[in-house]
Amino acid sequence: MADILRTAMTGLVAFQRALSTTGHNISNANTQGYSRQRVDFISRIPQPSGGGFIGSGTQVRTVERIYNAFVSGELMAANSAHSRLDAFYTLAARMDDMLADPQAGLSPSLQAFFNAVQDVADDPASIPARQTLLSEAEALADRFQSLGRGFAEVNEQVNERVKASVDHINSLAEGIAKLNDEIVRLSGGFGQPPNDLLDQRDMLLRELSQEIDVSTLVQDDGAINVFIGNGQTLVIGSQTNVLKAAGNVFNPTSMDVVFPGPAGNTVITSQLKGGALGGVLDFRREILDPARNALGRVALSVAETVNAQHREGMDLNGQLGLDLFAVGPPQVLPESGNTGTASVTAAVSDVGALTTADYVLSYDGVNYTLARADTGAAVPMTGSGSVADPFVAEGLSIVVGAGAAAGDRFSIQPTRTAANGFKTLISDPARIAAAAPVRTLAAAGNMGDGVVSAGEVIDSTDPNLLSPVTIQFTSPTTYSINGAGSFPYTPQSDIDVNGVRVQIDGAPATGDIFTIEANTGGVGDNRNALLMGVLPTTDILDGGTASFQDGYGRLVAQVGSATRQADVNLQAQSIVLSNAELAQESTSGVNLDEEAANLIRFQQSYQAAAQLIGVVDELFQTLMSTVRR
Amino acid sequence: MRVASQTIARQGVEAMQKLSAELARTQRQISSGRRMLSPSDDPAGSAQALALTRAIEQTGQHQRNAEIARNRLALEEEVMIGVGNILQRVRELALQANNATQTDETRGFIAAEVREMLDELYQLSNTRDSEDHYLFAGYSVRTQPFVRDAAGVQYRGDQGQRLLQIGQDRQIADGDSGARVFQLIRNGNGVFTTTANTANTGTGVIDEGSVVDPSLLVPDTYTVNFTTATDYEVLDSSAAVVASGTYADGNAISFNGIQFSISGQPAAGDSFTISPSVNRDVFAMLEDLITTLETGTFNETGRARLTNEVNTALTDLDRAIGHVLEVRTLVGARLSAIETQQDNNEGLTLQLKETLSGIQDLDYAEALTRLNQQLGVLEAAQQSFVRVQNLSLFNFL
Repeated sequence: MADILRTAMTGLVAFQRALSTTGHNISNANTQGYSRQRVDFISRIPQPSGGGFIGSGTQVRTVERIYNAFVSGELMAANSAHSRLDAFYTLAARMDDMLADPQAGLSPSLQAFFNAVQDVADDPASIPARQTLLSEAEALADRFQSLGRGFAEVNEQVNERVKASVDHINSLAEGIAKLNDEIVRLSGGFGQPPNDLLDQRDMLLRELSQEIDVSTLVQDDGAINVFIGNGQTLVIGSQTNVLKAAGNVFNPTSMDVVFPGPAGNTVITSQLKGGALGGVLDFRREILDPARNALGRVALSVAETVNAQHREGMDLNGQLGLDLFAVGPPQVLPESGNTGTASVTAAVSDVGALTTADYVLSYDGVNYTLARADTGAAVPMTGSGSVADPFVAEGLSIVVGAGAAAGDRFSIQPTRTAANGFKTLISDPARIAAAAPVRTLAAAGNMGDGVVSAGEVIDSTDPNLLSPVTIQFTSPTTYSINGAGSFPYTPQSDIDVNGVRVQIDGAPATGDIFTIEANTGGVGDNRNALLMGVLPTTDILDGGTASFQDGYGRLVAQVGSATRQADVNLQAQSIVLSNAELAQESTSGVNLDEEAANLIRFQQSYQAAAQLIGVVDELFQTLMSTVRR
Repeated sequence: MRVASQTIARQGVEAMQKLSAELARTQRQISSGRRMLSPSDDPAGSAQALALTRAIEQTGQHQRNAEIARNRLALEEEVMIGVGNILQRVRELALQANNATQTDETRGFIAAEVREMLDELYQLSNTRDSEDHYLFAGYSVRTQPFVRDAAGVQYRGDQGQRLLQIGQDRQIADGDSGARVFQLIRNGNGVFTTTANTANTGTGVIDEGSVVDPSLLVPDTYTVNFTTATDYEVLDSSAAVVASGTYADGNAISFNGIQFSISGQPAAGDSFTISPSVNRDVFAMLEDLITTLETGTFNETGRARLTNEVNTALTDLDRAIGHVLEVRTLVGARLSAIETQQDNNEGLTLQLKETLSGIQDLDYAEALTRLNQQLGVLEAAQQSFVRVQNLSLFNFL
């Protein structure tokens, strides 16, 4: 009878355990990352008897964690991909919003500026019209600057996120290493899995995968090793390698991720994939940097072309036009490890040939070579790099000084900061060069019906630009210039003198005189303003295939479509993540109804086992009363 | 499939959040009236919208430019009408002065009226626009273009002509220089002029002549000399005789493709000059006429001189009137070109706006239907969430 009592006792103990596990499950129904637990019963070793083995009750074999490694791995991968897209999309959407507002974008300011130029062309002597043009120029500069600043702020944000991410990764790695240590110790000590610690470690891994793509390897002792990038070991057993965020070797304002390997620090930025950190880095490479360059290129081309035209004009004071705008110049950044002392400068030589790429100029001890920073593709250069004969490539002219050492490298960013430095240089409305510096006239005594064109400046730097020029016809088919030479006359062909180009049409008679003279007092002349006014519809960028507005429109479309793509992918990935979570919860999550049923089940079993003790007691009493008699 | 209690709550909340986000988006679309809230909603469309907005703005600017050109040309046209009227009146006066019934005194009155006309013309040539800029000074709009001095009326402006952008590829002149309007008028018949020597003693009167054969024309200054009262010879500038003949009253004299006739009674030693046309200004023409009218006639010879000079003045005035008409026609042509361009611009704007609206504007009917649908779905999701969440076996324990 003692064995029945023992059997009942084993049941009571086992069901108590089961009830407490059920309670544990219920209590943790809302705990993040908790895997439900189940008590595994096993029947005890039976007692041999003549009539065979008699069962001797139950015992708890183990408390099992309901967990599927495959499902959990899927969830980690989905998490990583989702976080990457989420980080990418959040930043891209910010850029998108900056460009989105029809009032705040660049386009309206650009149009307003050129409209003001046309208003000046309508009434070149009007000071109010000129004042408006200056205000619009200021507004345009403001817009370029604020967009440039906005993009620079996003870059700052990216840097902060990289730093924060690296810190977070390090602290998670630390946590995983600690848990590894404890798990190894506990599972070794008790021979049973420490379920709740495993759950905690899985939670940390899941959090880590939200920051960065990881791969894991479980060791025999229960520890888990974590790898990032191209197999760099983040956690091995209870040890971690601490990542660092450091400024780029060329550009300290751009953060890189550095891994402390056995062979010294390595920059692993380009190897990192997935997770929020991967998303942020992808965003910087795919959207932010190209967008900053594209905006800079628009700024640069507006300033350069408007300035070039403005310099060819004459202002109200009769002076040649000055530069109207200034922009941030191309940036040349030497690598931090350069051993030479050479200084390198870059300038824009041809706006039409300018790209939105960045470049790396390398010196091998003999020759300089230029390559695209993103693709590494070589870019052919002409010239020798001297001041007189600079290297010329893709719209840039590069001058290198002496003192470069073999292996020195320079990063060239032609347009990155152009928009940030965009400002107006003229504040006096009279200094707007709306007029052309020269005008033409046909002498009143001309007998022929030849007419001369209004004249166009082709070289405003010609020292004799404003000197009077007399074109006299020595016969109906020949003319002399300033009384010298005899040139054959072809109607409508270009006659270039002193940096001015005119055409004569019709049939001039012998002795007819056409004069080119300084446009003194020509305050009503709008020829230069007219030429400036058509710049926005002139195809200047990309080898003369795109206008400023096209260049800006492309930037908007690029950021827009990248954002849209990220959004669409994020939606899709959300479903993948949701499904992975569903699968994980379906396996490991707590269902309260199930637990309620278990509660009833184990309670009843417990009551039954208790009843068994009662039965033993009755049996015992029956036996005792029989004997007492 | 097992469903964790957490799953039910999580999925319910997620679904409601998603629906709320969609609802908020629809609401933003409705309140802004725009289909695209950011470029990412339709990247290609937003780039297109940028280009279209720019084109609309630009066309608007072209319309403004055209309006300004139209106003300036309208003013010029008005001035040209005034100039034409003055010249017509002067022509009538010149005809009247040539009438045999006029005396030196009445011609003096006519001369005074012509002088009035000259003053008025001078005023018109210095017309200023609403901005106080001279209309006929070329580029030098702050310089008074026509100034009187001892030698007559001088032009101080330049020959510049301002163009305004009234269409993407269309520029139009918003005026003409004073040189073009008031100077540079070819005198005589456009090829040559005929004048009588002021020392002539006969009563020969020469007409304006014409070119009968342009291929034979040799531009030069010719002199018709009457060797006797009935014989004449024509000399060129190097004193070589190119033609000679016997004079008959009113008969045509022709040589080198040139033809003219002399009437009346020229005396021996009288001469007439045929010289190539030159550019004159309208003020000088009027000054000459005034001088002619103010010079006494005294006798038949004087009468002939008057007739010859008035004839020259009439010929010149006809050229000037033709010239002014030509400028007016040109201005009119520009005005009608502007009108056509403005119509084109308007049509273009309408079309651009329509396209832009199609790209970025919201279809309200569709959006409101969508809003109702989303509201319904969200409400249903909320109700079902509450009911499902209330289900628990524990309620029955």
